[in-house]
Amino acid sequence: MKKQLIISVGREYGSGGHEIAEKLAKHYGIQMLDHNLLDEIAAERNLDMKNLEGLDEKYKNPFSSRTVRGYSSSPEENLYLIQFDYLQKKAAAGESFVIVGRCSETILKSYEGLVSVFVLADMDKKIERIMRLYHLTQNLAVKKIREKDRKRKRYHDCFCKEKWGNARNYDLCVNSSRLGVDDTAAVLIDYIDKRQQIETK
Amino acid sequence: MIAQVFAAIIFIAMFAFIVTEIVERHVVSLICALLTLILVFGVGMHSMSAVVDTINLRSIFTVEFWYHSAKTAGSGSGINWETIAFVFGMMVMVEGMARVGFFRWLCMRIAKLVKYQIIPIFITFMVLSTILSMFIDSITVILFLAAVTIELSRLLKFHPVPMILPEIFCANLGGSATMCGDPPNIIIGTSLGYSFMDFVTNTGVIAGVSLIAVLIYFYLAFKKELLLETGTSVDYGSLPSPESIIMDKRGFLVSSVIFASAILLLVTHAQTGLTVSAIGLIIAAVTLMTSGKHALALLKKVDYKTILFFIGLFVVIGGLEQTGILEIMAGFIGRISGGNRMIMIAIIIWLSAVASAFVDNIPFATTMIPIIKSLSAAYGIDLSILAWTLAMGTDIGGSATPIGASANVVGIATASREGYVIKWGLYCKKMLPATVMVVLISMLMIIFRYL
Repeated sequence: MKKQLIISVGREYGSGGHEIAEKLAKHYGIQMLDHNLLDEIAAERNLDMKNLEGLDEKYKNPFSSRTVRGYSSSPEENLYLIQFDYLQKKAAAGESFVIVGRCSETILKSYEGLVSVFVLADMDKKIERIMRLYHLTQNLAVKKIREKDRKRKRYHDCFCKEKWGNARNYDLCVNSSRLGVDDTAAVLIDYIDKRQQIETK
Repeated sequence: MIAQVFAAIIFIAMFAFIVTEIVERHVVSLICALLTLILVFGVGMHSMSAVVDTINLRSIFTVEFWYHSAKTAGSGSGINWETIAFVFGMMVMVEGMARVGFFRWLCMRIAKLVKYQIIPIFITFMVLSTILSMFIDSITVILFLAAVTIELSRLLKFHPVPMILPEIFCANLGGSATMCGDPPNIIIGTSLGYSFMDFVTNTGVIAGVSLIAVLIYFYLAFKKELLLETGTSVDYGSLPSPESIIMDKRGFLVSSVIFASAILLLVTHAQTGLTVSAIGLIIAAVTLMTSGKHALALLKKVDYKTILFFIGLFVVIGGLEQTGILEIMAGFIGRISGGNRMIMIAIIIWLSAVASAFVDNIPFATTMIPIIKSLSAAYGIDLSILAWTLAMGTDIGGSATPIGASANVVGIATASREGYVIKWGLYCKKMLPATVMVVLISMLMIIFRYL
């Protein structure tokens, strides 16, 4: 039987983490989950996607929500919990997949087949990438990167004990500026293969 | 003066920490209670008697804790042990009923009685939510009602949110009808010496009239959405039979008898002389004795955090009361109203409703009790009128926003966890008009009936 492989990719905005995750999913021939996770959940439960949009990877506002006996009125927290349950169920069923962000390195920590990676990059490389991809000026790219990373950090740290991007929280933290997206993905494949070899022994 | 400053700072800090949820609310209230004992009573007032009065342990060892020979007000300032004992007892009873499947059975039984027709389920579940919340806490009512609604919505193919929102509203409305329906009412009743029937014949009447208005309002507001998917084929065979839900037949019968006895004891407590604390403790003892090996599990399930929150809260409010701050606030309300009783009622009901829409209504109501007492004494207005005004304002105001009352939070969370996310916009669009309508009905009924 093929061993379960779950790759969790945390990423800074503009680091190419998402592209790296796609390459890993393609290489191992496993499902890639990012914002399409919501589509999957909505399809499985026959839900209206319109209702869930705008809540994905959003932090909970403490002033507009309240918790009573462990129940929260926060739509963001409830969506996080839905995703939590869904990922847990998928992992418990023995499925292999790549999951981008969504606190997955914490949610799936107990699974042996989990490889957690955090992709970061130098600011100048991130600006260059965002300017190129979204046709933005330098100032707007900087603004967008700061805003997105601030929100990702707030989302992660709102629901997880460990801090976003803290090396202790991941198996591997890698700066994609050094080798570029393709070679970084290649290094990660090498690492994952070695991990799988060790665990199979 | 220094004691007043300490008391005010502790009180404001407690509210701020409760709202932000940085620390759990029972921890906040207990720390603030400790600070009140040390800073307000110790450093500020140098008064050991204030500490003893506020902790109020001696009240437990009085006959009045168990039996009232005549209608008397509760133990005054400090920890209201009567409320604590009653809340504890009802929690044990409700856990016992939940264990045997009572609530789920009741919901499914009613759905079957109306032949699984969507609009009749919609109406009967609103009425059921109101009636159950008159006797047990609205959190438990909504927990079961919302879960069954979602289960039925999948089988009968309707959107559950248009049914869950009215259930939440009715749980809060039902809570306002009796002394034991909502924590503010228990505190108002035990602090001011009102009986179960006093509430039923006053706030209960207002809640009854409001229920009719609310049924019409929600029917008009949600009819279209509920009937959107009618005509889709439904497999009635997949619906669980109500009898199959009962986990333990003997336990079910016993729980039903205990529940009926609790209602009977509460309805007649003004005649029998039994206090609500005695009723709560008797009910808890009988539930535990008849639960056999499940007794320990029931005791473990009791929400001790809420009980601790109450204890801490009573001490902090005791600090405000003993330092005279609440009298100053009462004087302020009196001056604004110019002593006019109608304006005073309007201020109390709308202030309570707006405050309860955003902050926990339990500390708010606890704070307001000494204020309405002062207002009553200073302006010669019947205390009971102000008590019913405060009860309706705090109980109903909580329905206006997703964070206003515990039932709202639990209902929203239950629906959202199943993917039916309820955001502020959707919630307020339907619930705010209903809240304003019922507060208005309450205010007018109070004015026309009592003034």
